[in-house]
Amino acid sequence: MEIFSAIASAAPGVFTIPVIIAMFIGTVVGIGVGALPGLSATMGIAVLIPLTFSLEPLVALGMVAGIYNGAMYGGSIPAILLRIPGTPAGIATVFDGHEMAKKGNPKLALDISLVSSSLGSAVSAIALLLLAPPLAAIALKFGQADYFWLAVFGLTAISVLLAGNPVKGFLSACLGLFVGLIGIDALTGNQRFTFDTPDLLSGVNIIVILTGLYAIPPAIDLMTGKAGIAAGHIDVSGSRAKFPWHTLVPVWIRSSVIGLVIGLIPALGGNIAALLAWNEQRRWTKNPGAYGTGEPDGIAAPECANNADTGATLIPALTLGIPGNAVAAVVLGALLVHGLRPGPELFRANADVVYGFMLTMLVTAGFMWVIGKFGSRLYVNVLRMPGKLLGPFVLGLTIVGVYSIHNSMFEVWLMLGFGALGFLMERLAIPTAPAVLAVILGPIAEESLRRALLISGGDMSVLLAGPISWMLAALTIIAVLSPLWKAIQSRRAARTGAEAS
Amino acid sequence: MKLTSKILCVALGSTVLAGPAIAQEYPERPIDMIVAYSAGGGTDVAARTLVPYIEEHLPGDATINVINRPGAGGEIGFTALANADPDGYTIGFVNLPNLLSIAIQRETDYELSSFQPVADIVYDPGGFGASADAGFDDLEGLVEYAENKSGPVTYGTTGIGSDDHLAALTFARQAGIEMRHIPFSGAADVRAALLGGQIDLASTNVSELIDYADSGDVVILGQMGEERWSEASDIPTFQEQGFDVVMGSDRGLAAPAGFPEDALATLQTAVEAAVADPEFQERAQEQRLPLSFMDAEAFGAKLDRMNENLQGIWEEQPWVEQ
Repeated sequence: MEIFSAIASAAPGVFTIPVIIAMFIGTVVGIGVGALPGLSATMGIAVLIPLTFSLEPLVALGMVAGIYNGAMYGGSIPAILLRIPGTPAGIATVFDGHEMAKKGNPKLALDISLVSSSLGSAVSAIALLLLAPPLAAIALKFGQADYFWLAVFGLTAISVLLAGNPVKGFLSACLGLFVGLIGIDALTGNQRFTFDTPDLLSGVNIIVILTGLYAIPPAIDLMTGKAGIAAGHIDVSGSRAKFPWHTLVPVWIRSSVIGLVIGLIPALGGNIAALLAWNEQRRWTKNPGAYGTGEPDGIAAPECANNADTGATLIPALTLGIPGNAVAAVVLGALLVHGLRPGPELFRANADVVYGFMLTMLVTAGFMWVIGKFGSRLYVNVLRMPGKLLGPFVLGLTIVGVYSIHNSMFEVWLMLGFGALGFLMERLAIPTAPAVLAVILGPIAEESLRRALLISGGDMSVLLAGPISWMLAALTIIAVLSPLWKAIQSRRAARTGAEAS
Repeated sequence: MKLTSKILCVALGSTVLAGPAIAQEYPERPIDMIVAYSAGGGTDVAARTLVPYIEEHLPGDATINVINRPGAGGEIGFTALANADPDGYTIGFVNLPNLLSIAIQRETDYELSSFQPVADIVYDPGGFGASADAGFDDLEGLVEYAENKSGPVTYGTTGIGSDDHLAALTFARQAGIEMRHIPFSGAADVRAALLGGQIDLASTNVSELIDYADSGDVVILGQMGEERWSEASDIPTFQEQGFDVVMGSDRGLAAPAGFPEDALATLQTAVEAAVADPEFQERAQEQRLPLSFMDAEAFGAKLDRMNENLQGIWEEQPWVEQ
């Protein structure tokens, strides 16, 4: 019941004019960012965090919540209308969404996607509100060795699972691990890779590398005309087909659960949740043959699932400081900028802000429905926005934003350097997410390992002294071996994909 | 001849008149205040709480802009302050012992003489905290525990070279016990490790422990001020318990060396009035800021004393491996 009184005391902070405006703007921007192929929630939040730095924490975090939720739905708009998913999480929506639109019902397809997305987000936010606080208390049970294994598991899972090619994933993670080494060694006070530059003594700020890797490459693509689409005439009128409420309810329940569970596991997240939900839905149904031909359930399942993972991915981030994917990493970055450190104390010392943030995740789910309901026609115009104008705009925002964090030009150059690196990595098909997560997880792994050994006086057995350590070590081994399982899965998915299209 | 002397008279007269006029006019433009830590951090919040009251007590429509220059444990901001033009329009917060310990442990672009002390504002004494079920509640008990324990006593601090670390080094030497340092990245992590039973002792500022002592989770073994802090008047000092350990963190105001004297005088008066302002004191109480005002001279003497003390610790026991 403690949770409910905490929610009640945080609520007045959420329903203030600045926070409501921030959530509204965030959701509008989020849907737009999601709708534009090439731009993602991660990138939207990365550009935004430095700019919201001077605002009240809840105003900034409300905007972040809006972008996160909105982008997950926004990705379905071009997926349905143009057969181009706006974000990777929208891939599964193409299968049935675009087919339904082709049959002359784009409006119904958008509506199903919108309602499913909003419901998924709402369920996820409620799960976050109810699960995060009790789970945060468990964090007290985590010793240094447990944190070490948790970070190692996160790193392994992310490198292996996020990349099509595990070697490239590990390469990217190694880059992040290196960046994480820069600065003063917290356990001895020695300088590492600082090249006698005072600017590097406190290490590379996570926002600097996030903005560089996530915002600059898409901005370059926009400017060079690589991203964006030539959208001609797009029809969103469609007939007023009846909304199939009763058949969709079981779909929503099943897909929300899938989204929640997938969201909790590091490295998975929206894209996988959506594909899995679509596939599971097809397996459950009596007429699997209808899937891929414009089946309402086939739109509802992936859209509900990819929104249901939004809140769930934040649970390990808020309670243990371990982000499961790139979006959670940027949200974690946003919290850190506002001086909110994850862990059990977050829910005690900053209860109003953290409960308020979780509430904004719920409220923006509602905003999304309203904005999507009345604005879907307008969002079609977003698809026509010229990339050559948008690119420099994004670039300008990142420079102003990064400068404003520490009033440091050095960090702006560093950010642009990471941007160039990120662009190169994308060209070489090396994923950037493992690098970003390694910047956060690497120092956690290193410091907790060394601290554990310092406390034990160098006795290695402390690393496997507790049940949590054993469990996480076992999970790490499973993650290393999982490419094998994934190869089998992808062969199966390829077969179903071929049948679908 | 007459004309020349007339001109001379006018010229001299005007300078004589202009002198005090300028002093009264200070500040005639906004003053920059460098804070060497991130916005939203403890020092930043304290600075932003104090600024409006200094503005109010400065003559005219004074404005002070807070500029955050965080990084390298404060070194970036301290260097920026030391190298600023001493024209009266750049001041900054300096945190002790970081300002001094950084300059001792590595090459820096500033030294103590690069600064003109303005005023000390906050003094947060250090303290030792143990878990409530540790079985000892004072320093004597700790020493006894340490002598009977097979390995060294482990203590957590907020980092290498922090006041917490230096205090524990001094204490271990005086008590003749073996203590092992476990650095963490913040007071919250130290508390979590203490409550989770991972370390024997937390060496942090008393203000970081007081809430947990009130709730009964933590026992504070002693505080390191020369006198007891008013918010923790039931906790004896280290000196009272027979250990000569005086350590804590200070947050004071300083300016670049060569700061104009009239500006310093005006500023000092305004800061003193601001700290004494009952409204500010109420807000400081809310944030549990242990206020301790010292004027430029007393603060300067404290800086010299502390610098000497730290040099002594460094020579005997360098806290960073060379």
